[in-house]
Amino acid sequence: MSKTMTEKVLSKKSGTDVFAGDLIIAPVDLVFAHDGTMPLAIQQMESGLSKQSVFDPNRVVGVCDHASPSPSEKVSNVHSFMRKFAVENNLQFFENGDGICHQIVVERFAAPWKVIIGADSHTCTHGGLGAFATGMGSTDVAAIMAYGKTWLKVPESFKVEITGQLPEHVHSKDVILHVIGEITADGATYMSMEFLGDAVERMSLASRLTMCNMAIEAGAKAGMCQADEKAREFLESHGRGKEYAPLAPDKGATYADEIIVEAEKIEPMIAFPHKVDNVAPVTQFEDVELDQVCIGTCTNGRIEDLRVAAQILKGKRAAEGTRLVVYPASRGVLLQAIKEGIMETFLQAGASIGAPGCGFCIGRTVALGDGEVALSTQNRNFKGRMGNDNAEIYLCSPATAAASAITGHITDPRGV
Amino acid sequence: MDKIKGTVLRVFAKDVNTDEIISGKYKYDELDIKKLAVHTFEAIDSKFYEGAKKVKNPILIASENFGCGSSREQAPWVIKACNVSCIIANSFARIFYRNGFNIGIPLVECKDISKRVSQGDKLEIDFSAGIIKNLTKNETYEFKPIPEFMQKLLDAGGLMPYLLKNNGFGE
Repeated sequence: MSKTMTEKVLSKKSGTDVFAGDLIIAPVDLVFAHDGTMPLAIQQMESGLSKQSVFDPNRVVGVCDHASPSPSEKVSNVHSFMRKFAVENNLQFFENGDGICHQIVVERFAAPWKVIIGADSHTCTHGGLGAFATGMGSTDVAAIMAYGKTWLKVPESFKVEITGQLPEHVHSKDVILHVIGEITADGATYMSMEFLGDAVERMSLASRLTMCNMAIEAGAKAGMCQADEKAREFLESHGRGKEYAPLAPDKGATYADEIIVEAEKIEPMIAFPHKVDNVAPVTQFEDVELDQVCIGTCTNGRIEDLRVAAQILKGKRAAEGTRLVVYPASRGVLLQAIKEGIMETFLQAGASIGAPGCGFCIGRTVALGDGEVALSTQNRNFKGRMGNDNAEIYLCSPATAAASAITGHITDPRGV
Repeated sequence: MDKIKGTVLRVFAKDVNTDEIISGKYKYDELDIKKLAVHTFEAIDSKFYEGAKKVKNPILIASENFGCGSSREQAPWVIKACNVSCIIANSFARIFYRNGFNIGIPLVECKDISKRVSQGDKLEIDFSAGIIKNLTKNETYEFKPIPEFMQKLLDAGGLMPYLLKNNGFGE
């Protein structure tokens, strides 16, 4: 019987032919957590289990990225608690400034056919490289840290077929915002979204990661793209070419639902407050004045994103009264951006640059003021997300963010 | 777990997210769930924590997609710390649903429950039969019984006690 990519990966992992709806105990290739979720996982493991050591230190990753570098003594104490466990168990541990957990995992660990579990909802990002990757809570992660296994219901799949050529200044972020607007915040609940079609085949790996990153915003368990030459090139460029193996769905695989997106028709999109499925073309919100424009995050903080933004910002300055904030997704991304002169462009444009990490996106180290309006390349615009319940957050692509920083209000990048 | 009897503390709208359940401003600072619980639902209902203390076996009712957003398990933990005995929603977001069973708080998906039940209603939930009795309105609602594996998690009190009892995943 034909299988989706999800069914293929989970069949291989569980050693039996499995299909949507089957409950399996699956071995996990990599488990990770961050400073917002790992401390609770450690507490769960230490207080709840008889097994007190991790199943394989090489497959357990901890990252200080969320409230990082620590803004307070309380957070520093939480970091110390996590660091102590990491040292005692000899984990793969990444410090303040190394980057966002998802970017670190994609650069160093993720590969096609792997099962990756993270204590973070945006773990679905790694499906962009052909892994089956999903977010779970700290208790699940505690169980995996100890036993290297988890229980999973094989999800049904939602086919997102993207065909044709994206117009200039329109990016995969605009496509995924459009899709979420169409199917809504629970349109793919419990499902795996499989992004297929010639437009996806032409997309860079970074663009695919952006779409898979936001699968959770439609309620999905995972997002997946085919592992092809683009995946091979990415792995080779990170010294992991040997980990490449192709992955594609079988012809005739069963999809529970399907949407077809014509790339030519997509415009620059935004999500307006306070829900990710409040999606509209940028042109409908051009009068919104901005206090802060944010570029970065696990959604759009990769070198490709910074290049797009820097190209628009080159030789220009952020508008008076509009603060521009840039957080590269990892140390590697920042180093590359420095080499290419991108950071110079941002600095000359008036940006404040933060240490690689989650930064503004979760509002713990950078927060908005009462009544302020932000435009960000992140994935969520929930009330209070950026540290203030009385602020408004709009979501967009790096191109729209850069164009809007220059004018000080939401701006269509096609006109800049 | 067989039956739970309690009172509806609040009926929530659709798409209640984990940032609304427990804000990111608190969760990175505090490892003690009891201290965090003071801020439960603070962004949408500043009186929730105090209100929960006044009701015996509080039950939460919600519309679609309850618990969407982050994987933060602090969200179901703080609700549990408010002594909530059960959450019944038209539907749940996936990670929240899973987290609920893992930490031993029963979650029930029941179509249109948010339209049928009001604040203050007394409910009796029969998990094995898949029936909710509304003792105030004298109505009954059916739901699809919880899958066997998840029932076992609830019976054990959550994933950790389940693993402790079975010495891992039982393979």
